Amino acid sequence: MLVELTVNGESRSANVPPETTLLKMLREHLDLTGAKLGCDVGDCGTCTVIVDGVSVNSCLMLAGRADGCDVTTIEGLATADELHPLQQKFEEHGALQCGFCGPGMLISAKNLLDNNPDPSVFEVRDALAGNLCRCTGYTKIIEAVIEAGEMMGQEQANV
Amino acid sequence: MRPMDYIVPESAEAAVAILAERGENACPLAGGTDLVVDLKHAPGNINALVDVSGLAEFRGIDVTDEGLRIGSMVTYGEIMEHPVCLDKTPEVVAASHTVGAVQTRNLGTIGGNLVTCVPSADSAPALMVLDAEVTLIGPNGWRRMPIEDFFVGPRKTILEPYELLAEIWIPKHTLGKPSSFYKFGLRKGQALALVNAAAALELDGSRIVEPRIALGAVAPTPIRAVKAEALLDGQDVDAELLDEAAKIAVTESKPIDDFRASRNYRRQLIRTLTRRVLERSVEIARERQEQGELH
Amino acid sequence: MATRVKDVQTNVEDLVTARETRAPSRQPLAVPIDQPVTFPLELPESEARLRTPAVGQRATRPDGRLHGLGQTQYIDDITFPHMLHAKILRSEYAHARIVSIDTSEAEKMPGVIATLTGAEVPENSFGPTYQDQPILAYPIARHRGDGVAAVAATTEQFALDALEKIKVEYEPLPAVYDPLEALEEDSPKVHGDTNIYTSKVIKKGDVEAGLAASEHVFERRFSTQMVEHVPLEPHATIASWDGNGRVSIWSSLGRITLGREDLARTLQMPQSRIRLIGTVVGGNFGGKNEITNEPIVALLSKKSRRPVKAIYSRGDEFVSSTIRHPFIMDYTTGVDSEGRILARKIRLVLDGGAYCSWTGTTIGKGSILAPGPYNIDNVLVEAYAVYTNKTTTGAMRGFGAPQVCFAYESQMDDIADALGIDPLEIRLRNGFSENSLSPTGQSLQSVALKESLTQAADRFRWKEWQA
Repeated sequence: MLVELTVNGESRSANVPPETTLLKMLREHLDLTGAKLGCDVGDCGTCTVIVDGVSVNSCLMLAGRADGCDVTTIEGLATADELHPLQQKFEEHGALQCGFCGPGMLISAKNLLDNNPDPSVFEVRDALAGNLCRCTGYTKIIEAVIEAGEMMGQEQANV
Repeated sequence: MRPMDYIVPESAEAAVAILAERGENACPLAGGTDLVVDLKHAPGNINALVDVSGLAEFRGIDVTDEGLRIGSMVTYGEIMEHPVCLDKTPEVVAASHTVGAVQTRNLGTIGGNLVTCVPSADSAPALMVLDAEVTLIGPNGWRRMPIEDFFVGPRKTILEPYELLAEIWIPKHTLGKPSSFYKFGLRKGQALALVNAAAALELDGSRIVEPRIALGAVAPTPIRAVKAEALLDGQDVDAELLDEAAKIAVTESKPIDDFRASRNYRRQLIRTLTRRVLERSVEIARERQEQGELH
Repeated sequence: MATRVKDVQTNVEDLVTARETRAPSRQPLAVPIDQPVTFPLELPESEARLRTPAVGQRATRPDGRLHGLGQTQYIDDITFPHMLHAKILRSEYAHARIVSIDTSEAEKMPGVIATLTGAEVPENSFGPTYQDQPILAYPIARHRGDGVAAVAATTEQFALDALEKIKVEYEPLPAVYDPLEALEEDSPKVHGDTNIYTSKVIKKGDVEAGLAASEHVFERRFSTQMVEHVPLEPHATIASWDGNGRVSIWSSLGRITLGREDLARTLQMPQSRIRLIGTVVGGNFGGKNEITNEPIVALLSKKSRRPVKAIYSRGDEFVSSTIRHPFIMDYTTGVDSEGRILARKIRLVLDGGAYCSWTGTTIGKGSILAPGPYNIDNVLVEAYAVYTNKTTTGAMRGFGAPQVCFAYESQMDDIADALGIDPLEIRLRNGFSENSLSPTGQSLQSVALKESLTQAADRFRWKEWQA
């Protein structure tokens, strides 16, 4: 079946078997390998992407359901000459160790900050509950998200 | 995943017709947070998915003269954001918040959770104490029933072949009823309930009116603790009375022993959680009374 | 950046000169005892720390940026033209003789290009200590995670479907699951005629005399469970066997040099024809320490003449990759009336699962560390690793250290509780200090145990908690 989406602001389409998950379509048909397959059952969050403004496990969503939707993946955060504040803060804090959880973690964090630029530690933890980091770098991750929120707030204020 | 047809019907009737036509190898798809996992690992004979998640009849949250209507395909994420739910059914919101994590709540639907019908379904107790009803649509048309009647056994509902859960109704008289929900899992995030409990009640002076207690993960289906409710009905609030009701709730449950917790541990949880949700409901009712006096 | 490197270099020189006079750890950091400690505690910087400014500095990871951009390439992010996907069929029984394997039906399935069984592996055994583990079990499967056959197909789903068509005839054998049962003479044997495959004894002083002289003797059994590493990236491999008879293997394996030796052995070809590329690893936690499916994927690539990728499912990861050894630990400890340990007798039984893997390292470290960081004159540690028909236990962070730590520290608390001694105090009374001798007689240097304990206790306001 033909699935047409907007991915990171660009129109993309692919002819995929109907049982294809959104994750598989992104990785294998659109060559966007940022989102990862970790557990394949919706527990680990490495496959997290934003679909029409809400974050979802792309390993549990059929590509067909995302037809016509606006999808944001990790590849859509940075521009050619600028990191997203989250990427900058994650790097500065050493928040990513093995890095495998990173793409999902950053997308969940982005989804949080888009809706709540000034989250409390509790809100960050709650927002990231569906993203496992087996290196257990959570402290650095939470610090990075809060600082990225502050940075985005300042950028907004400067505009 | 095995090759599979993916069908998006135009209406609820069409969905029922397609399911009936395709027979037992077709399966309705809601949020997919359970079904897609099953299809990956134990697909059985399913070869077609009928995606009902976008059907207008199953979508939306509205307030009518009858009460609050929540479409079965409303996601937990949507319930948690909806102003009417936040205002009138805060414990349904709280129960929704305990399900999975953000990403699964944005996919998972309240109807899907009820139809999967695991004993630990978090939305069930919170809805049961508000006397919620459900509407179903099937080959023989629509029918409506109290939500308790919907659950038949573990992973077994009253749904007939090709019948679908359409709506959840919370009657007008229980909207805003003082209520409390509490879930106890092995972790704070992404955990199944070892026990979950909900209570709702009104206070007339210090007299308990229309008490409701519902428990999850303590029996083959979510249950109402009717004997405990009967003990409380019409009585004056008293700490010992609430604890007594909690003890009775334990006797009404049949918790299992499994790798998550022992039967005894679950019994203790039932008593503690039941007491807590009753106490909290009383507290909310009292706050309301005080606010009422102020106005 | 350049300044920092220079600073560190100068300070290393400083350290070398300083070591001649005094080890840094011998200078206790002054913590005012008479003043109540409030949080956060402003401790004076240690001299050692001042001499090594890199310690405590925030450093950014060289690979951190690509991680954040989602551009780091893990194995599943790499593809090759015409690449196949491999899946492995696991044993139906915990212990069974494989009578026959028929892959003919599987080979007729759509998309299937090659199959593989244990009989086709040139040298079907591997292992870092004993080569007791098969690449694909044949003729005996010793646990449910043992692979018995593999399929390479054009898609993962085709490979999975084909697995269901492989006919394996088993003759079930009696199995043993409990490590204590495995010690018994009449228990089912996993390999050979005894299940004990590694043991270790450490003797210091006279433990029986020490126990006899003790005022109090404490006895207790402690046990720990299996633990899986659960790296978010499962074990993953791509192999490409080229027309020149050389094989390139991309693997999530940590020890690539050792891995190449094992590959040369199992594939029976010279190392010069094997190129093993260790990729960025999505978590390892002490696992991914030996080859797993690399020879299978290599041979499937050879047979199919195409690149082959194999990614473990989460299920494969749990049943087939190595896990942490469960320990059963019997501790007998004699103390004087002040809580000073006079003797400690320990018996460790390590549940080894079906194959040896890194048990040698685990039993060694576990045994040496089993008495704990305490000055004890009379010690006896006896440790046995036993085979059971369960998932193979191997390397995981700490190599046995966490298991014994749980036991000895739990018993320290038991002793403190029974004698009415503060749990911190009993550790300070017994703890290692500079030049203490380890159970194996090693003189220990730079020992900051007591300083660390005291400072930590002050920081989390131990005394106030006790009050």
